[in-house]
Amino acid sequence: MSQSLAMLKVLIFFVQLISLTQAKPSSGSRSLVIYDKRLTDLDDYSIFFSNLEERSYHLDYAPVSNGSAVVELFSGEEKLYDNLIVFPVKSRHFNKQLPAERLLDFFNDGGEILVMTSPNGVADNIRIFLNQLGIYPSPRNYELKDYFHVDDNGLVRLSGNDVLNQHVVPKSDQDVLYEGSAALLGSSDLIIPVLHAPRTSFTEDVQKQGDKWTVGSQGYVMASFQSLRNSRLTWVGSDSFFSNKYSAPNQQFAQELIKWTFDEKSVVKAVLSRHSHSNGLEYADSPYKIKDEVVYDIGLTEWNGASWVPFIADDIQFELRMVDPYYRITLKPKYSPSEVQMYTTGNFNLPDHHGIFTFIVGYKRSGLSFFTEKDVKAIRHLANDEYSRSWDITNSWVYLTAIYSVIIVWVVFVALFMGIKRKSLVPIEKKTN
Amino acid sequence: MAQNQALRWIQLLLKCTIFLSMTGAAVSSRLFSVIRFESIIHEFDPWFNFRATKYLVNHGFYKFLNWFDDRTWYPLGRVTGGTLYPGLMTTSAAVWHGLRKIGLPVDIRNVCVLFAPAFSGVTAWATYHLTCEIKDSGAGLLAAGFIAIAPGYISRSVAGSYDNEAIAITLLMVTFMFWIKAMKTGSIMHSTFAAVFYFYMVSAWGGYVFITNLIPLHIFLLILMGRYSTRLYSAYTTWYAIGTLASMQIPFVGFLPIRSNDHMAALGVFGLMQVVALGNFVKSQVSWQKFKTVMVLSLAFLLAVGICGLFALTYFGYIAPWTGRFYSLWDTNYAKIHIPIIASVSEHQPTAWPAFFFDTQFLIWLFPAGVFLLFLELKDEHVFVIAYSVLCSYFAGVMVRLMLTLTPIICVCAAVTISKLFDVYADFSFPQDNAASGAISRKTRLMTLITKLTVCASFLGYLYLFVYHCTWVTSNAYSSPSVVLPSRNQDGSPALIDDFREAYYWLRMNTAEDAKVASWWDYGYQIGGMADRTTLVDNNTWNNTHIAIVGKAMSSPQDKAYEILKEHDVDYVLVIFGGLIGFSGDDINKFLWMVRISEGIWPDEIKEREYFTPSGEYRMDAMASQTMKDSLMYKLSYYRFPSVYNGVEGMDRVRGQRIRQQDIGELDYFEEVFTSENWLVRLYKLKELDPIGRDLRSAGEFDRNAARGLKKRIARKPALDFRV
Repeated sequence: MSQSLAMLKVLIFFVQLISLTQAKPSSGSRSLVIYDKRLTDLDDYSIFFSNLEERSYHLDYAPVSNGSAVVELFSGEEKLYDNLIVFPVKSRHFNKQLPAERLLDFFNDGGEILVMTSPNGVADNIRIFLNQLGIYPSPRNYELKDYFHVDDNGLVRLSGNDVLNQHVVPKSDQDVLYEGSAALLGSSDLIIPVLHAPRTSFTEDVQKQGDKWTVGSQGYVMASFQSLRNSRLTWVGSDSFFSNKYSAPNQQFAQELIKWTFDEKSVVKAVLSRHSHSNGLEYADSPYKIKDEVVYDIGLTEWNGASWVPFIADDIQFELRMVDPYYRITLKPKYSPSEVQMYTTGNFNLPDHHGIFTFIVGYKRSGLSFFTEKDVKAIRHLANDEYSRSWDITNSWVYLTAIYSVIIVWVVFVALFMGIKRKSLVPIEKKTN
Repeated sequence: MAQNQALRWIQLLLKCTIFLSMTGAAVSSRLFSVIRFESIIHEFDPWFNFRATKYLVNHGFYKFLNWFDDRTWYPLGRVTGGTLYPGLMTTSAAVWHGLRKIGLPVDIRNVCVLFAPAFSGVTAWATYHLTCEIKDSGAGLLAAGFIAIAPGYISRSVAGSYDNEAIAITLLMVTFMFWIKAMKTGSIMHSTFAAVFYFYMVSAWGGYVFITNLIPLHIFLLILMGRYSTRLYSAYTTWYAIGTLASMQIPFVGFLPIRSNDHMAALGVFGLMQVVALGNFVKSQVSWQKFKTVMVLSLAFLLAVGICGLFALTYFGYIAPWTGRFYSLWDTNYAKIHIPIIASVSEHQPTAWPAFFFDTQFLIWLFPAGVFLLFLELKDEHVFVIAYSVLCSYFAGVMVRLMLTLTPIICVCAAVTISKLFDVYADFSFPQDNAASGAISRKTRLMTLITKLTVCASFLGYLYLFVYHCTWVTSNAYSSPSVVLPSRNQDGSPALIDDFREAYYWLRMNTAEDAKVASWWDYGYQIGGMADRTTLVDNNTWNNTHIAIVGKAMSSPQDKAYEILKEHDVDYVLVIFGGLIGFSGDDINKFLWMVRISEGIWPDEIKEREYFTPSGEYRMDAMASQTMKDSLMYKLSYYRFPSVYNGVEGMDRVRGQRIRQQDIGELDYFEEVFTSENWLVRLYKLKELDPIGRDLRSAGEFDRNAARGLKKRIARKPALDFRV
C-alpha cells in the first residue's frame, strides 16, 4: 500500500518535472530592465540582451529619468516580474520612483535581481537596499584603480581562476576586463563573494584625491547574495562589464553570472523526503517508539538550465533533533531514477528517549539554493505490554524462585498444620503452676 | 413485637428520606455554577482531566494507559498515561458507558460537569457510616448533613469542578469508614474493602499518601497506648499487604510504596506489627522477667538496624528522599527558597485564618469540643479521629488546599458535639423520680425545660445560620468557573467577561493545527483543552527546567527571548494582561515567580533584584528598572496599551500606575495577532527570520525609518568586521 503510494508520488513528480522543462530559468522569465537614459545606451548591450532573449527571457524596459513615472514591480500583492536588471542610475528622483523598501519587498518575495552600479551612478535607493544586504558599493565618483593588473587600455584585468564561488561562476583560464567601482562586504553568511579586487588595487574618489573606499583584496568587484527564501541577487560594480565592447573576454563569465542569478543553475531542491520503519511500515501505520529501527530517504535534484538532473554531493547530513541533535548522519547515495538522486541514512535505531523529534535535512551551501526538509514526529515510550516478560530476564529468576518457593512452602505448611494432629508438647502441670 | 417492626420501618423510611433530601441539598447547592454561568468545565486542572477523559472515551483504556501526549511539554512530550491518576477518568468513562448501556447517551462533558455533585452524595453516605462507628446514627446523620453542604468541601466539588479531589474525598471517607469497621472488628473482609478503596483512592489522587500515613499512625498510637490486639493485627496487615500491592499497579505510583520516604511509615509500622505480635506471643510463653530483657534488647537492636538502614538506603539512593512538597509542609518558607515552583501556586500558600470560619462556619468552634468529647471516651476508633484532627489541622494551616481534607473531620467532630448536646438537651423525657417532692421538682422541671429549650433553640438557630452561610458562600465564592469572569455593566446589571474562551477559540480557528503556543504554565491545560494547540509547559509541573525556560524567555529582552522561543519551535506567545479591566491575576503579577524560577536555573543571567526599582519596589511605570522595561513580559503586556488612552500614557488599573509609551518601545521580534475584547488575553506571533539575514531589530528600524521617510543621503564608509 505504502509502496504503491510512494510510486504514485514519484510519477506525479516526474510529470511535474516534464512540464517544468519548457522554461529555461527554474523560477520565471518575466524580466524588467531599469536604466537611466543619460548613462546607458541600450544598443551598447545588444549582445547581452539577445543572449537573454535566446534563453526565452521576456524583457520589458523601464527608462528612468527625473520626470518618469513610478516603477511598478507589483500589481496588488502579485509580482509583475520575476527578474529585475538594474543599470546604474543617477536620477535623483529614482528614490521616489522605486523606494528601497519596494526593492526589498520584491527581493523578499522571490524576485531575482541583477544590479549594477558604476562610478557614474549609484542611486540612493539602490545603495540603501544593497547596504541592507551587507553590500557596500563605493559611492559616486569612486573608481577601482590598479597599476599592475591592467591591459593596454588601462582596464583592470581579473583572472577567471580567482572566482571565489564555483557554483556561481566556474573557474576558467579566460581573464575578464573590468572598469568601475568596488564594494566592501559585510560578514553576513548569505553574501557570496564572486570576485576580489586585485591585491594591488584600491578604490579612490576621482574628484577628491586621497579618499579611499577599498584597499587591495578588501574590495570586491562582484558579489552575489542569496536570501533565506532562495531569491538571488548579484551586484556588479560596473555596467560596461556586460557591454558589447568587452563582450569578447567577458561574455562567458557574464552569462554564467546571469544564469546563476536568474535561477538557471545551482538550483537544488529536495523531493520525496520520507521516513519509515526499516521494514517499510510508515509512521501512520505504526507510530515510532523508542529504539525502533527506521530509515530516512530523500531525493535531491538540480536544475542545470535545461532539465532536472540528479544532485550529487557527499556532505548532506540528516539530523534527528529534539532541541539538540540526537543523530547527525551523513547521507549516502542510494539509487538514482533518471532525474533524482536518492540519498539514505541507512537503517538506524531511534534514541532511547521519548519525545517529539524533528527529522530534518538542512542543506545550506553558499552558491547553491538552500533547502530544509522538516518533519516533526513523536517517538513514544514503550507501552505497558512491550517490555520483555519477567521470565525472559535471567536476573529475575532468583526472585521468581523465591516467590514460588515461598508460596509452595506456605501451602505445604498449611497442609501439614491442618493435617497433622497436634500433640501437646508442653506438660499441663507447668501452666497450673 | 409488631410495633417494634413498624417503628423500624418508619425509621428506615425516615432515614431514606433524610438521605435523599441530603443528597438533594448537596447536589443542588453545587449546581449554582451551572445556573449562574453554564455547564462548563472550571479552572485549570479540570480541563486536563476533561481532555484525558475524552481521550479515554475515544480511544479505549489500553491506548489511554499508554498515552504519549505529544501536544504538551513540547518537545519533551508527556507520558500522560503513566503520570496521571486515572481514577477520575475511568470512573466517569464507566459512568458514561453505563448510561449508554441503559439507553441514556449523555455527552461526556455533562458527565464530567456533574460528576463532583453526584459524588458528594456518596461522601455524605460514607461520612454517615463513619460517624455511626464513632458515635451513633444521630451523629452520623448530622455529620452527613454537614459534609453535604460544608463550603470547605464544596469549594472543590461544584458542578464543573472536575478535579481529582471531587472523587478523592468520597474515597477518603469510604476508606476510613471501612478501616474503622475493620479495626473495630478485626474483620478481614472489611479491611480488604478498606484496601480496595485505598487502591481506588491511590488511582484517583496523590493525596492518598495521607491515608498511607494516617492509618499506620493510628496503629502506632494504639500500640504505644498498649492497646495491641489480634484485631488490629489482622486489620492492619491485611490492609497493608493488599493495599500496597494494589497501589503499585497504578503506573504513576509504581514502586514508590517501597522506595519513597513518604511511604516508609506504613512499611515500618507493618514491621513493628510483626515484632509486637511476636513479642506478644513470646510474652504468653515465657516469664515476665525474661521477656523484659528480650524485649529491651530486641527493641534496641531493631531500632538501630531500622534507622541505620533507612539512612543508608536513602543515602545510596535506594529510597527517594522526602519530596519538596513534604518539606514545605513543615517549613512554610522552604518552598519559597528552594522550590519556587511549588511556592508559586496559590493553593500552596499558608491559609489565612478567616478562611477556616469562611469554609466551615460554626463547625470550626464545635470541632475542638468534639475532639475533647472523644478524648473523654477514647476508644480505639476515637484515637483515629483525634490523630486525623490534629494532623490535618496543622496541614490545613500550612497549605490552603489541605483545608479540603480537614473539612470532613471537622464535620464528624462537630456532629459528635452537637449530637452529644442534643442527647442531653433534646431529651425531654423525664425519668420518673419518685423520691423528690412535687413543688421543687416542678420548678426544677420548668428550669430544665427552659434550659433545654434554650440550648436546643439556639443550636437550631446556629444550624439555620450554618445552612444560610453555606448557601451564600457556595453561590458567591465557589461557583465561578474562573474561565468566565463575572462582572457588572455600568448600570449595575451582571455581565460576563469571556475573554479566555474568545482567545482560545481564536487560536483554535486561526492557527495551524501543529502550532506551538508558549505561555506561563497556568494556562497550559486550558490551551490544550480549549484551543487544542501544543503547549510548552502546563499545570502538570513535572519539569522545572522546562518551565524555567519559558520563564527565562519572558524575563529576557526581546532578542534573547526570540532566540529561546525559536529554538523550541514556538509559533505564538500568549500573555494574560489585566491592566485594562483590573484583573489582578494576570501575568505581570505572576512575573516575579517566572523570574525566580528561571533564576534558580540561570542565576548568572536572570537576577530578581534587577527587576525591582533601586528602592526595592515592584513598579511598572516610569520608575521601573531598565531590565523590567526590556523584559518580554513587560513589552507583550503593555504593547500598544497607551493607545487606548492618549497614546502617551496608559493607566494600569491593577497596579494603579501610569505606563509610558516610551518605556514600552518597539516590538520588533513579535507581532500582535490577537487581543481579546477586554485585553485580558493577548496573543503574539513570532516573526519569521529576516530573509536577508538582518537581525529583526535592525530590520524593524529600517522599516520604521522608511515609513518616516528618513533616508541616509550621504554614503559613509561602514565599519565592518573581517569576512572570515
